[in-house]
Amino acid sequence: MDWLFLAEVSLAGIGSGGLYALTGLAFVLIYKATRVVNLAIGEILMLGGYVFFGFAAGMALPHWLAALLTLAVAGLFGAAVERTLIRPMLGESPISVFMLTIGLGSVLVGTVELIWGANPLMLPDYMPTTPLFLGEAYVSAKVATAFAVAAVVVAGFLLLFRFWRGGVALRATAGDQAAAYSMGINVPRVFSLAWVIACVTAAGSGMLVGAIGGISPTMGVFGLSVLVVVIVGGLDSVLGALVAGLFIGLLEALAGAYLGGEFKMLATFTLLVAVLLVRPYGLFGTHEIERL
Amino acid sequence: MFKLSRRTVLGAALAAGLAASAALPQARAADDIVLGGSIPLTGVFAFAGEGIHAGIQDWVKMVNEQGGIEGRMLRYVPEDTAYKVDASVAAFNKITGQHKVTLYYGDSTAFAKTIDPELERHGGILMAGASFATELNDPGTYPLQFMAGPDYTEMFGILLEYIAQEKAGAKVAFVHSDTEFGRDPIATSSERAKALGLEVVETIVTPPGSVDVSTEVLKLRRARPDYTIFHGYILAPIPEFINQARQMGMETKFMGTFWSMDNSIVMKMGAAADGFMGVMPYRYYYDTEDAPMLEKIRAMRPEYQSTAYIQGMLTAMLMTEAVKRTLADGKELTGANMKAALNSLKDFDTGGLIGVPVSIPGNSIPVGRIYRADMGQQKMVPVSDWINLTRTGG
Amino acid sequence: MRIGAAKQTYAADEALFDTTVQRAWLVGLFALLAVFPFVAGPYWIYMACLVAINIASATGLNILTGYTGLVSLGQAAFMGVGAYTVAWLEINLGTPFLLNLVAGGLTASLAGLVVGVPSLRVKGLYLAIATIAASVILHFVFSHWTSVTGGVSGLTMPPASIFGIVLDQPRTLYWLIVPVTVLMVFGAANLFRTRIGRAFIAIRDRDISAEVLGIRLLRYKLLSFALSSFYAGVAGGLWAYFFRVITPESFPLVMSIFFLAAIIVGGMGSILGAVLGAAFMTMVPEALKLAVGWLSPWLPDAVALLSPVRTIVFGALIVLFLIFEPQGLAEVWRRIRRFFHLWPFKT
Repeated sequence: MDWLFLAEVSLAGIGSGGLYALTGLAFVLIYKATRVVNLAIGEILMLGGYVFFGFAAGMALPHWLAALLTLAVAGLFGAAVERTLIRPMLGESPISVFMLTIGLGSVLVGTVELIWGANPLMLPDYMPTTPLFLGEAYVSAKVATAFAVAAVVVAGFLLLFRFWRGGVALRATAGDQAAAYSMGINVPRVFSLAWVIACVTAAGSGMLVGAIGGISPTMGVFGLSVLVVVIVGGLDSVLGALVAGLFIGLLEALAGAYLGGEFKMLATFTLLVAVLLVRPYGLFGTHEIERL
Repeated sequence: MFKLSRRTVLGAALAAGLAASAALPQARAADDIVLGGSIPLTGVFAFAGEGIHAGIQDWVKMVNEQGGIEGRMLRYVPEDTAYKVDASVAAFNKITGQHKVTLYYGDSTAFAKTIDPELERHGGILMAGASFATELNDPGTYPLQFMAGPDYTEMFGILLEYIAQEKAGAKVAFVHSDTEFGRDPIATSSERAKALGLEVVETIVTPPGSVDVSTEVLKLRRARPDYTIFHGYILAPIPEFINQARQMGMETKFMGTFWSMDNSIVMKMGAAADGFMGVMPYRYYYDTEDAPMLEKIRAMRPEYQSTAYIQGMLTAMLMTEAVKRTLADGKELTGANMKAALNSLKDFDTGGLIGVPVSIPGNSIPVGRIYRADMGQQKMVPVSDWINLTRTGG
Repeated sequence: MRIGAAKQTYAADEALFDTTVQRAWLVGLFALLAVFPFVAGPYWIYMACLVAINIASATGLNILTGYTGLVSLGQAAFMGVGAYTVAWLEINLGTPFLLNLVAGGLTASLAGLVVGVPSLRVKGLYLAIATIAASVILHFVFSHWTSVTGGVSGLTMPPASIFGIVLDQPRTLYWLIVPVTVLMVFGAANLFRTRIGRAFIAIRDRDISAEVLGIRLLRYKLLSFALSSFYAGVAGGLWAYFFRVITPESFPLVMSIFFLAAIIVGGMGSILGAVLGAAFMTMVPEALKLAVGWLSPWLPDAVALLSPVRTIVFGALIVLFLIFEPQGLAEVWRRIRRFFHLWPFKT
């Protein structure tokens, strides 16, 4: 047993798990507030990467400005999607809305290909590249940076949910829409807010993912892993997304290192099936009791 | 009836979006030799498709300007496939349904395999394409197809040959994608490496479309290979792999195969890829060694043309040569006759597209050369002589 | 304008086609299908076969998703199971193709049963994701069980043949694919006149209520999964005979999404919807190709835009139909029919 190798692989896995957790959070946010399963999350992440590329490489803006503008664009995008596509679908079956987001994802992929082409691109280097050593174990500087950013953002979110008025409104709406209405909370506004925050978060993780592996119209498959994360964690559990995110990242890394790259997807999806069989609502999800 | 079919022909050509260049009725005689093509002008393989398309187009123009083949004009009828097998088959059916096709360019391994029974049934078509799959390099199973270069196993063979010359007993690692394309040469090449006295210390598989390769790089670092060969990728995730490996201070030399070796692709890998090597069966556009065809290309197109362009042009050139020889022998233009004519090529001069005279004993041309990326010049420079596997007994 | 039809029995009321005019139209359709391969060019016959295969598979998905309310993103993988079974039998045993098709359907329905087992506990979106998991796992099996599936390079199979006639051309295969599809579509239409079909609909509308009414949920949900994947398996078998090369990449996840999109665009829970939807979604990319061709004199690199535009149109169709025409093309069709039935009165 090569302990150093195990340590390095685990660190790499937890590093990418941080990004899963962050994107999973965006997913859970929308689901909690609006009960919409947003399968376009991977594509929104991709859009974030490309918009950043457009600002930073295409228009040659400074990186911090490009990042801020990307987040702003993503926010506007979230608001627009919520108003034009999701709002008319309120009250429809969750399956219809779920398909709607698949359609949206396809439109996004096509649009990105139309503007930037189908070939993979590299984001300009904005992250440190000097390698990092924890003890003797090597950690990729980019992955470490991405993990740190993800951790800070997630911590920020947890604080916002706890103490910010908007965060409290979000939690109230998630808990009981009718009650939230009667307490004077503007529920449609909360829906918009959830989409805006989620899209900003997804675009942010898109910039991080893109910095590590480059951007391409197919990078939306990242969303597939995120899907596993949120289902394993439970669709409506923030804690679940965080724990499952790290865990899935670790699992993928270990499967990739000890079994081979082709086993990564198999391992995560097998875990998904196993979890669903034991706990159909995910590890931390709420078990809804159905009544006639 | 003739009028109607002519209109549909025009419609189809228009549909391919190539009306301006290919389909306008310029001297379209009934005895035109039709080169049909399933060309991936869009989709994941579009960068290659565009090059191939331009290369074939230019070659057809050159042939026709010199009066065609034995007085018969060459006509190119392409259709976009988006690199999907079913679209490719549909394109084949459409083109062969509307024209008397003699030559065909196919876009993928799966297409070549799918269409093969149909080719043999049809009997009048010689086909080549963008796939260098080892499986296709078998004249017994695929009698009416060929490839304008070495197959993937032969590409690996050329790389390994070079490695064995440079450093006897070197340690080699293979990194490939988990696709048909990626897996193609791996098993056979491990044996080949052993025969050359090289040690394959690690074989790493990456899932298709994966971007995060940190764990794979860690594995590679453990293996400490002298040479690492990538296969089954075009660009991603090679750059990230190289970057991370360099950050870890790894000294291994990275290598690639044909489709990731175009100048524009390698230059996208960034500064860390300086010294990236790979096998290339053709010369690059800017090569200054004596090559009349390259000069013609540069006169026609002043800007850089990809290696896919050269591939397309060479494929069309070999097809034309096969037709020419068949007609010269007074034989009928059947697939088998054309293939026999192609196999009769001995030390054929490609006008410098390939640096040495070539022969096609079977379905492939097992010739190639090692080029190395020089980021300072932004060019690929040759580091070896032409390696011919038939001569060295490979 | 129609006048009332005299129906004296329940059977007459439940009949699929209740008027002479409808039957006449149906006969006309069959005549058209029979004449088609003699008048159409090879390209159109090829497209007709492809449309028929997609209709068969979409009809199967409609049984599961449209009528039983269980969303599945595994339809393409089940088609793969059918295709591999058929190819394996054809290569190794050389059994008659009709037998192979049935065997392909049965193997696929077995796979469907296994995937359906969690459906009692796992519901709605969790189930949809579980079917994605199933298709990922099946994909892994396809590409790594090399001794049976040929691994990543897949299987190449000989063409189907009957009485010495080799069916290796769209023109001849048409006579296999279209009749099988017609049979399956009518089978599905008749299914919903039986107790089983009505049980499916009851489960879709409210599964707990259905259970209270005495419908065994597990049994019927599994049955729905099995039937739906049987359709997929047969469609996959037809696909195998049509293309004759099966690789793990032949049945990707986007293909499952395609079928789901087809029944949404066509109309969920409507036999006609699956037919219209599958035909429409298969033809749209071809129509786009043509449109791009017409634009090319004004837009020189139009062809480079084709692939992204196709992706956008695919997504946009799903979105627009869901928002503006949730009942799909079948509803449009009904509206048109109503217009003529009620003519000259305003609808």
